[in-house]
Amino acid sequence: MKIGDCMKRNVVSITETASVREAAAIFVKEHIGLLPIVDQNNKLVGVVGLRDLLSLELPDFVNFVADVDFVHDFGAVETTRPSADVLDKSIKTLMKPAITVHEDSGLLRAYALMLQHNLHDMPVVSEDGKLVGVASRVDIGTTILSAWSEVE
Amino acid sequence: MLLSAILSILIFIISLVLIFSEKMNRSIAGIAGAVFMVGVGKILGFYSEEAALEAIDFNTLGLLLGMMILVAMLEPTGFFQYIAVWAARASGGKPVLLFVLLGSITTVLSMFLDNVTTVVLIAPVTILICEILGISPLPYLMAEALLSDTGGVATLVGDPPNVLIGSAAGFSFNDFLIYALPIVAVAWVATLVLLRFLFRDELSKRPHNAEAVMSLNPAESLDDPKTARRVLIILGAAILLFFVHHILHISPSFIASSAAAVALLWVQPDIQETFKKVEWSVLIFFSALFVMVGGLEAAGVLEAIVGLLEGLSRIPPIWFGVSLIWIVAGLSAVVDNVPITIALIPVIQGLGEAGMDITPLWWALAFGAGFGGNGTIIGSTANIIVATLSEKTRTPITSSLWNRRGLPVMLATCAIASVLYIVLYKTY
Repeated sequence: MKIGDCMKRNVVSITETASVREAAAIFVKEHIGLLPIVDQNNKLVGVVGLRDLLSLELPDFVNFVADVDFVHDFGAVETTRPSADVLDKSIKTLMKPAITVHEDSGLLRAYALMLQHNLHDMPVVSEDGKLVGVASRVDIGTTILSAWSEVE
Repeated sequence: MLLSAILSILIFIISLVLIFSEKMNRSIAGIAGAVFMVGVGKILGFYSEEAALEAIDFNTLGLLLGMMILVAMLEPTGFFQYIAVWAARASGGKPVLLFVLLGSITTVLSMFLDNVTTVVLIAPVTILICEILGISPLPYLMAEALLSDTGGVATLVGDPPNVLIGSAAGFSFNDFLIYALPIVAVAWVATLVLLRFLFRDELSKRPHNAEAVMSLNPAESLDDPKTARRVLIILGAAILLFFVHHILHISPSFIASSAAAVALLWVQPDIQETFKKVEWSVLIFFSALFVMVGGLEAAGVLEAIVGLLEGLSRIPPIWFGVSLIWIVAGLSAVVDNVPITIALIPVIQGLGEAGMDITPLWWALAFGAGFGGNGTIIGSTANIIVATLSEKTRTPITSSLWNRRGLPVMLATCAIASVLYIVLYKTY
């Protein structure tokens, strides 16, 4: 089994020129966790995750304290929305370099990369760097498990 | 002799430039400079390994290391988080009250613990509390940095320059309480009042979610009450011993080392984890500076500087002290106050040997080095830490903001220190 056999092929992506607001709308509409960013030739230039967008509302301060279990009410944080300025910025301000695999990559290699980089979705690219699909942990994991039925 | 002097000055200045320009880690620049100094000293015959070891003030290092180990054990217990959460609840979400409480806690903690540690542990919880309240953390973060620098001046163990000065001048813990604490108390009130005025807009905004801070549970924020209690008991005992160390004829460094040893025995923490939190680079940096300044002394450079300064003895000693406060403060505002203090200590000792009454000068050095760091965003490590943390919030602390809100505090505290220095001069 190769990653190309279990990935989703009809991938939603966004171009570099889009705004944060437009990206957020796609996340809501498609109900996804990772949005690949491509140039006009459908070449993958980066990714933006749900988590990157959410960091605008829940800033890094949470990571400064060892645990937040003693905070029972997040108060103003719950209702703080990013400003219009922030939402109208280019999505490139939140873009991260993508960890990708090629279509012909093995499943366990892809899964190991996901574990190592703490990813839930991974863009799959062709030989020339074009976006061809996205594979999720669930896609890869269940495909691996499906082979267990053949074990005698 | 002249060649030794020129080369040792050159080594010292190049090392200082590398340290101050922050192009290189200060410990790396320090080690390189120290090794060069000993090497050149051996070739030219003015310095040796034995002399270099003798130049290191192990009293200072022992005191710092002991306190660092105690804090390293206290840190993971969540004690600092606990205090900040307690302050948030006690304030009921009222900005001015929260400001005074967090400021006071930082001052008292940094009187006994390292400023940097205090700020590193209190500032993150401060940001969290402010986010929950929906208010800007700026006034609180700046007050914490400024007040930790200010509070540190009050005691022998509050601040590295004080540890150095106390060790060199032979001042006891109580000497600091008698001569430094009253001035710090006035400076502390002035700092709070001045900051309250400078941040009047931010502090007058009433948070909408004031009741949210009451949801913070102090008991849950204290992760390891048992260890916290043990370390605090030992820390308390150490502070009590500091009060009487000169009567018992034991050094502060021995008290701190003993306290660390007893705490380690009682708690038996994961020693690797505890030692990871000890700032070894600081101890190495201090040692390297001692070795370099020892080289300058051995080459006769400091003697020459003392000779030059003796010409100034026509200046009334009281004004000599006031000038020292401002010169050291000005330097400490832009560069690290530790190298300045370590370099000035033998100069002041030299002036003493030449017959000048140097006791007042030690205090002038302590005030200048302590209050000066408040002047700029890079003036002290505590300042750099709050500025870096604030970059992760919606209202980052910028250099120009510091010049408008921090610099006035430095000028005011130095002015207060100067006036009180003149008034109290006869008592020194």
